[in-house]
Amino acid sequence: MCTHPPADEVRRLDKRFKKLDLDDSGELSVDEFMSLPELQQNPLVQRVIDIFDKDGNGEVDFNEFIEGVLQFSVRGTKEQRLRFAFRIYDMDNDGFISNGELFQVLKTMVGTNVEDVQLQQIVDKTIVSADTDGDGRVSYQEFCAVVGGLDFHKNMIVDV
Amino acid sequence: MTWFSSDSSLCTCVCVTLALWWTHLVLFVIVPAVLGVSFGIRSFYMRTLLKVFKWATSRIETGAKEKNEELYKPDCTGKSSDEMFHVKSLTLARLVGIIAKGRAAPLQELRSTAGSDFELADVLYFSRRGAESIVDDEVTRCFSAQELETWNLLTRSNYNFRHISVRVTALWGLGVLLRYTVILSYTQVIHHQIDHHAAPQVIHSGQTLRENKPQNGGICVANHTTPIDVIILANDGCYSLVGQVHRGLMGVLQRAMVKASSHIWFERSEAKDRHLVAKRLGDHVADKNKLPILIFPEGTCVNNTSVMMFKKGSFEVDCTIYPVAIKYDPRFGDAFWNSSKFGIVSYLLRMMSSWAIVCSVWYLPPMNREEGESAVEFANRVKSAIASQGGLVDLVWDGGLKRAKVKEDFKKEQQKLYSKVLVGDTETEK
Repeated sequence: MCTHPPADEVRRLDKRFKKLDLDDSGELSVDEFMSLPELQQNPLVQRVIDIFDKDGNGEVDFNEFIEGVLQFSVRGTKEQRLRFAFRIYDMDNDGFISNGELFQVLKTMVGTNVEDVQLQQIVDKTIVSADTDGDGRVSYQEFCAVVGGLDFHKNMIVDV
Repeated sequence: MTWFSSDSSLCTCVCVTLALWWTHLVLFVIVPAVLGVSFGIRSFYMRTLLKVFKWATSRIETGAKEKNEELYKPDCTGKSSDEMFHVKSLTLARLVGIIAKGRAAPLQELRSTAGSDFELADVLYFSRRGAESIVDDEVTRCFSAQELETWNLLTRSNYNFRHISVRVTALWGLGVLLRYTVILSYTQVIHHQIDHHAAPQVIHSGQTLRENKPQNGGICVANHTTPIDVIILANDGCYSLVGQVHRGLMGVLQRAMVKASSHIWFERSEAKDRHLVAKRLGDHVADKNKLPILIFPEGTCVNNTSVMMFKKGSFEVDCTIYPVAIKYDPRFGDAFWNSSKFGIVSYLLRMMSSWAIVCSVWYLPPMNREEGESAVEFANRVKSAIASQGGLVDLVWDGGLKRAKVKEDFKKEQQKLYSKVLVGDTETEK
């Protein structure tokens, strides 16, 4: 699936994991993530944690942590990053971004600063322009067609 | 009777040893302290220690290579200190992008059009920021001990400690013996003296510009790493202290100090009443007979790699500010007091059994608040001066985050910034 990361990266991440795991349970809960001040002010933090949590048990164990973080490293592929970005919107993980899902994600990003009506207009416009097969929702291929053309994925690299 | 004679020869041995030790102490420690003379022993001691540390580290590295094991390297290896500073400045620039008002520049990098329409790619900015924070963040990094490149023979600062070679382990054992017997006992004697110049523990490698020393009627501000900061500064001048009332041993010390000169101790609950604080400070500086006040505006101990947000209270008082930068050399012993991990007693024990405490103290030129400058801007200006002199990273994060959560407002601020990007243009058109 992915190449083996070098041992010192894994060790660093292991140390980081242990530092975040305040109750030493071996898994990171949402509260433990939220002890990071920078994450507390990031409106999308719940989505990021949900994507890390592959088995859906509400907590992130060490393997999920490593896999999640390494998607952002230099070693990650464009495909992985696109997938990650798609998953941010695709809240129920059914492979499609529906109108409702896009609205909800946008809502967390803008808070109360934009009227719902205006927000809905933005959502509708985006879906219409991206939805090439006319089924009213955005599939992964349609998403990549819009987003994949940019060099955005290079901006997604995090120094691990 | 044989046991009697062996007993007496043992007695003689002990007496001779004690006598030698005391003579040595008097000759080399107490008398020079009284006369203010230095034998250069301390700089010799430091140089020797550094050579030993370098040898030990290279021995560990070659040992690890032989066994084909991977060594854990601290985060900063392979980068020169200049590079690290640059990297940290970049991170700071991004951080400031989050906190500064009205700036959406970091988000614009990701957008293909300059327009204000929503793009599906926008979400990547937040997810990248999220992943960055998860991997490493500026705040928690400030509140744990700094990592060293060369090992200084203290297991407390080493993450690699395995048996690599007999010689290194023997050296470490010798070090333990030396530190816990000789150095610890030295310090017992020293603490009975008032003049700390004699202590082999506290070494000033400082460049101090004497003319910038704080005067009466002024406020001295410094970055805070440990309660020892106070001792070091007090070594070189007299101050009135301002700080949180503590319980336990610290509380006893605080009450004792008040008997000697006027200090200002607060309860944190009282500190919330800023007018009361400002009034007491103002009254104190107005009285020219009172000593200059020493304040640590960060409000908490930070691990000496960075300077955190300066609280504006002390900068609202109308008087001259004398900034002081304090930087500890981490190679000889980590001076940072991690108050969530160690109490004051175990901290002091660790300090006394370190190789040495080496620090540099810089007295910076006095600063005054300019016309039209707010207290916050003035505080930041002083903070940058201290950070650049001490070679520390200048952060905007609040030291209070050690104990408290980020305010909800920050998240709302993020949301507002992003909304501006989305719909800001339409609003200005109205």
